[in-house]
Amino acid sequence: MENRTAKPKTVSRRGFLKMLGGVSLTGVAASIAGCSQDPAGGKGWLPQQYQVASSWPVQVKGRIPIDPNNPSIVRDDKKCILCGQCIEACERVQTVYGYYETPIKDDITCVNCGQCTLWCPTAAITERDEIDKVVRALEDKNLHVVVQTAPATRVALGEEFGLPPGSIVEGKQVAALKKLGFDAVFDTNFTADLTIMEEGTELVRRVAGDLKGVKPLPQFTSCSPGWVKFCEYFYPDLLEHMSSCKSPQQMLGALVKTYYAKEKGIDPEKIFSVSIMPCTAKKYECNRPEMNDAGKHVGKEKLRDVDVVLTTRELARLIKMKGIDLTKLEDAQYDPLMGESTGAAVIFGATGGVMEAAVRSAYFLITKQNPPEALLNLTPVRGLQGVKEASLEIPGVGQVNVAISHGLSNARKLLDQLREDKKQGKPPRYHFIEFMSCPGGCISGGGQPRTSLPPSDQVRQARLNSIYQIDAKIYKKRLSHENQEVAMLYQKFLEKPNSHLAEELLHTEYVDRSKTLTAKKNG
Amino acid sequence: MAKGVLVDITKCVGCGSCTVACKLWNDMKFSEKEPTMGPEAKLSANNWTVVRFNEVKKENGKVWRFVKTQCLHCQDAACASACFAKALQKTKDGPVIYYPHLCVGCRYCMIACPFNVPKYEWDKTFPLVSKCQMCSTKVAKGEAPACVSVCPAGVFKYGERDEILKEAKATIARDSKYVQEVYGEKQAGGTSWLYISDVPFEQLGFNTKISSVPVSTYSHNFLKYTPVVAVSWGIILTGLYHYTKRRNEISKDSGKNVKL
Repeated sequence: MENRTAKPKTVSRRGFLKMLGGVSLTGVAASIAGCSQDPAGGKGWLPQQYQVASSWPVQVKGRIPIDPNNPSIVRDDKKCILCGQCIEACERVQTVYGYYETPIKDDITCVNCGQCTLWCPTAAITERDEIDKVVRALEDKNLHVVVQTAPATRVALGEEFGLPPGSIVEGKQVAALKKLGFDAVFDTNFTADLTIMEEGTELVRRVAGDLKGVKPLPQFTSCSPGWVKFCEYFYPDLLEHMSSCKSPQQMLGALVKTYYAKEKGIDPEKIFSVSIMPCTAKKYECNRPEMNDAGKHVGKEKLRDVDVVLTTRELARLIKMKGIDLTKLEDAQYDPLMGESTGAAVIFGATGGVMEAAVRSAYFLITKQNPPEALLNLTPVRGLQGVKEASLEIPGVGQVNVAISHGLSNARKLLDQLREDKKQGKPPRYHFIEFMSCPGGCISGGGQPRTSLPPSDQVRQARLNSIYQIDAKIYKKRLSHENQEVAMLYQKFLEKPNSHLAEELLHTEYVDRSKTLTAKKNG
Repeated sequence: MAKGVLVDITKCVGCGSCTVACKLWNDMKFSEKEPTMGPEAKLSANNWTVVRFNEVKKENGKVWRFVKTQCLHCQDAACASACFAKALQKTKDGPVIYYPHLCVGCRYCMIACPFNVPKYEWDKTFPLVSKCQMCSTKVAKGEAPACVSVCPAGVFKYGERDEILKEAKATIARDSKYVQEVYGEKQAGGTSWLYISDVPFEQLGFNTKISSVPVSTYSHNFLKYTPVVAVSWGIILTGLYHYTKRRNEISKDSGKNVKL
């Protein structure tokens, strides 16, 4: 303190140079002694399996290819740790990756099922997030935003809010959607019942031989867009077996912008149609070019039947984003016109469900009588066994054989068998086969809440149990043909199943995709 | 016993595992401006390897081909020959490696490289040169480079360069779909990384105009005169010194005021 006014010491030129020299010497010494003399790189990490001599083969490695333009799934390279789990799911569970030859053509083969998003431990692979599009539509005062919810989301959405697997949150889901501002909340179950009427009628026509030569037996279900694309890629020769019915999502999409618009007097162009699906392939399905039948019907081909698909996970994020606690909501009801559903529709969410529902109504369509109690609990088609089969007696037709597969590796078993039978000129073993892309059916779809890795049968079973509980105990009706709103739809708009208008709006065609890949010869 | 890698472009499905492995092992950041995959993918200071997407015409229509790009690790590396600080060195294992502590930042290597591989850390205050090391530390331990070890599609063969070159030639001779050339066998005097393809290399963005003479040979053509030039320049300067010195003495002696 006392030196405050004292002049600073002068530094001599020699002193200054000495100081500079000293500093630079220390710098040089430090950099030689202290700095790394290693070559560049190699300072990071790699998963353990790769740190072995090059002569040891690594078993689980790499990752699946994903087209950056894939409508269903995206990957964040920053999060990828090359654990190889996506390949395990794609190659072993779904038999897609590794089932085509290289060199590839001009497509990255993907059935959009999204099972990889359930297996990826770091969530590097996720659904393509389209929440923004929905939020924008909800904020747009000129748009009438309509939403539909798939059968399987109501037994899984709760998990995202801390409820145990399989919790039934149907009413809370509707309440949340109404709170988010959707103008109408419809149930995809409604069009699942409608699908049964259309697909059941088609099946009866196939069995009766009305469609001989064009549509042979067995009939394949067509509700699972991942399965449909799989068949288009690997078994295009069997596409004639595929039911021409659209999936329930696309049926509802087509009806929203025609039937609903007409009934309510809303301009179809002002309707924005959203679906909540347990599925990433639905995002791809709604973008299939031919899915604009409502648009074609009203003369505006640019209109899409379904504008945006959100997965169950995206809906959960949207609800959380808006600060809504799903568990605290009072149950609400689906809106009328396309909100009624039966137990036959809700079991679409479970493997074997479409089959069971179809059998119930096919019995009615053939015999004009409701099926006996035994057919209402068709246990052989339930459960998590990969390939299931059953035989039923239907008066007037005799024995009807059905088969069910879920997980595309299981689909191959039935498809290869059918191919071989056809080659040898054998009569078809089955009348009707249900195929679901995902193991367990939609309840374990690629858009459902993530569970343990790999996804466990325990969770799948819990969700399945709830689906069957809704069918047996909660809904009043268990037969699609008893759905009054479906009956009204036929009466007011479509006339009858497989009518000209029904064919136009509710049926579709398939594409042979075998030219976009070189399928491996198996077996 | 130099190692090499054979890349079979026909087997690549474009998953990009190799690009992620490189980032993980070498602890490098991803940048959205510098994609590691796709049509715009380019090598950069942070991208030691990229997978470039190409859509090319083939017999009946278009096909997609993916080309993994990284340092080719020349047998007679131009960058190493251009580096007077010995920051770039060709090892006997095969990799051409870079020692940051020796680099003076002259960037001669970048000019020398015929494949345009070395990049500069332009965004750093104290930038260094940056390029693929072929995971030299892994190679030294008998492991394959990170990118090679993670490939699920069987694109790569890793081994002694001589052997994989033989294998490459056998493969293209056996299967007529391949272009009858092994890229890297002769380019720039031969490289450790070799490529085979069913689409002509120039359509996939490869530089096919590279001579088979190593670049260092060209520089050697004039650099070999360096000692001669240095010695003779010294002799000439010494001569001039003595000449002017003598001229000064003479002018001083004769009283003339000669200004030099």
